[in-house]
Amino acid sequence: MRQMDRYIAPPLNPIESIDFINPKVFDINPNVKLIFMSEVPNETSRVDLYFDAGTIKGEKGTASFVNGLLLSGNEEISSTQISHQMDLLGGFFESGITSEGAVISVYALRENMPALLQLIKKSISEMNCSAKEVEELVQDKKQRFQVNLQKTRFLAQRAFQHNLFFSHPDYAKVVEEDYYENVEPIKLKRFFNDNYLHGLTKVAVVGNFSQDFVDEIIDLFGEWAKEPSCEYARDFKNRVGLYAVEKSDAMQAAIRVGKILFNKTHPDYNDFQILNTIIGDYFGSRLMTNIREDKGYTYGIGSMVAEFNNFGYFMIATEVGKEFKDATLKEIKYEINRLQAELVPQRELDVIKNYLLGQLLKSADGPYSMIDLYLNAEIHDMSLEFYNESIKSIREITPERIQELAKKYLSWDEMTIVTAG
Amino acid sequence: MIDFERFTLKNGLRVLFHQDLTTPMAVVNTLYDVGARDENENKTGFAHLFEHLMFGGSIHIPDFDAPLQNAGGESNAFTSNDLTNYYNVLPKENIETALWLESDRMLSLAFTPKSLEVQRNVVIEEFKQRYLNQPYGDVWLELRPLAYEVHPYKWATIGKNIQHIQDATMEDVRVFFKKHYHPANAVLCIAGNFELEEVKMLVEKYYGEIPAQEKNVRMLNKEPEQTIFKEKTIYRKVPADAFYFAFKMPERKNPEYYIVDALSDALGREKSSRLFVELKKEKKLCSEIQAYITGNTDVGLLVISGKLHNGVNFTDFEKALWACIGDFSKSFMSDDEMIKLVNKIRTSKEFQEQGLLNRAMNLSFFELLGDANGINEELEIYQKITVHDIQEIAKRILKQTNCTLLRVIADNNETNG
Repeated sequence: MRQMDRYIAPPLNPIESIDFINPKVFDINPNVKLIFMSEVPNETSRVDLYFDAGTIKGEKGTASFVNGLLLSGNEEISSTQISHQMDLLGGFFESGITSEGAVISVYALRENMPALLQLIKKSISEMNCSAKEVEELVQDKKQRFQVNLQKTRFLAQRAFQHNLFFSHPDYAKVVEEDYYENVEPIKLKRFFNDNYLHGLTKVAVVGNFSQDFVDEIIDLFGEWAKEPSCEYARDFKNRVGLYAVEKSDAMQAAIRVGKILFNKTHPDYNDFQILNTIIGDYFGSRLMTNIREDKGYTYGIGSMVAEFNNFGYFMIATEVGKEFKDATLKEIKYEINRLQAELVPQRELDVIKNYLLGQLLKSADGPYSMIDLYLNAEIHDMSLEFYNESIKSIREITPERIQELAKKYLSWDEMTIVTAG
Repeated sequence: MIDFERFTLKNGLRVLFHQDLTTPMAVVNTLYDVGARDENENKTGFAHLFEHLMFGGSIHIPDFDAPLQNAGGESNAFTSNDLTNYYNVLPKENIETALWLESDRMLSLAFTPKSLEVQRNVVIEEFKQRYLNQPYGDVWLELRPLAYEVHPYKWATIGKNIQHIQDATMEDVRVFFKKHYHPANAVLCIAGNFELEEVKMLVEKYYGEIPAQEKNVRMLNKEPEQTIFKEKTIYRKVPADAFYFAFKMPERKNPEYYIVDALSDALGREKSSRLFVELKKEKKLCSEIQAYITGNTDVGLLVISGKLHNGVNFTDFEKALWACIGDFSKSFMSDDEMIKLVNKIRTSKEFQEQGLLNRAMNLSFFELLGDANGINEELEIYQKITVHDIQEIAKRILKQTNCTLLRVIADNNETNG
């Protein structure tokens, strides 16, 4: 065989197009939809139920407590019995909560999903916030909160959220010790009734199911569907400046730098995502290259754009040796200034373009990834066409446009900066 | 069922190919038969530090990541006590880029003193981030040397201490590479929408010329059978008391490994498991409790860990725990309990095998154990486990003389009422 030249990289094949597969969409009521992805080549299945039950609703820890109580049972059937039934069916249950919503996810083999959904429906419907279960949950959560207070990353994220959402008290409120005092089951019960039993906002189904089964799901959960459409806050403004949380015994300091920004609905969103990638969203990013791979200050540093219903935010996050805290902030500022002052070299931008197209291809691979892509657009009333726009944006972006966005959105004196350590 | 083909190159490289006609992506997974257990006791943390250096450039290619990113792909790796695994996921049209990069770093590394210097610092920050700057983060650094007398599992993958990482030299790293990074010490798995002939041709093209080297014979200290209860109490600035009961269990290839795994599920995998129900829900002694196995290739650990409720003391808790696990030796589990275990395992396996990367990594791992097809035989093994098997294994494993207990006492407990 001919000796190959190992110095030369193999030729590359560009990604021509990406197949985005549309799920089927059904109306439960005019505001609540069921989204169904049936192209699943194996026996797995997942059903997600979304509720208008986020932490901006209810006082103190109410939303979070109720989310944790959903399978806590009642006098007739205990939480243990519910778990036992679920395990017999080989099912898994997860619940999660954000500021603007709550979601429960049920995972099972296809054959067990019908029985599992019946169990989940019955258990949640009949949940009654028993004093015993409430007390146990509150104590457990209090202990977890106390453990979290020992983590610099938790302290930093908490302070960051508080200052980032400062203009909107419902979003800016952070967990305090007194959240765990005098929790009243009756208030939880009311929240549960208003926001779960009448708060379903969306259902997502993945699995090789028949249409009949999808109809059954609609019949089963339809009575929980929320009638009025949801309204969410807008016009956020972060409180700028440097906020330091003291934790004198910490070996590392956690750092957060960011500001209020936009979501997918904004015309600059796609191009900004490319800038975000350059800054800190892949292994070869400016921040990783400088702060990890050149200086060795950290195990990792990254940036992201988080999205809400009517806005978004940009954030840089890292944990660094405490002796590198100031030097790291200086380097973050330096890298942002450099993006404003100098054009990104075309070669660097070409790598990022190829990388992002490859990642988009991957994020459309398989039914679970595909429905997540769909849902991420659907939440803003957008279709999968959004991702064709992303491809176009990646192909057409120029160094000049990157610089323009860096100047427009990344001014250092608009940032909320938090350190904990 | 995960289908695969297997072939071996003249230089000893074992290759697996898993065909998936539905995906536009390809996976190139390389498993090296080297982990922290292969380290010298006075130079620990090396296998993992070395994994970092594998991204610092190879003999013909100055930078690993950029060419892969340019091909639309991404890469990462992990190190355990047993093995080191490197993976690349990229669009299938560009699979050659991954093969070019991976084969070149199997051929020879070319990292600089600067890269060693920086990665030492990065790993030290990783050490702090994961083990030292977290509440309860250092328990495994304490538990391992307590549970193991002589086997190299007595140190963590990250290393015994930061000093070992600080002291690593260029020469150390070169010796490590020479000994462990060569075709006969690796399993390569290619997954994606390809044909076998195409894969054979590509693998031969990129890996065929890498010189063969004899596989290193592993001679590890054999852990003697434990005969006494071992315990240690440490004091930390944490909000709640915590416990770690570690029971020695058979090695990965022992058929009993699976029975112990099932036993650990019965003890504390889910909210309907014995420990969770009895000690948390009914007796209210702990705020969290779980049981799991470490999954090691050599003699491993079944671990029961969790946190006490504020105000509960260790004496009461330990008495209740030993009574609860004693029941497994005294009487059979119910049929329902057995059905639950198997059904949960079945669902988990089906979900895990959904991902292309997981399939490639699992095939490689089982091939390293002896036969890639092992991944397809697991479920049947679990299904054949009887309540009698569980009772027998519980009698032998869940006893004090086979147990190491680490207690973490909250130094500032009184402030948390």
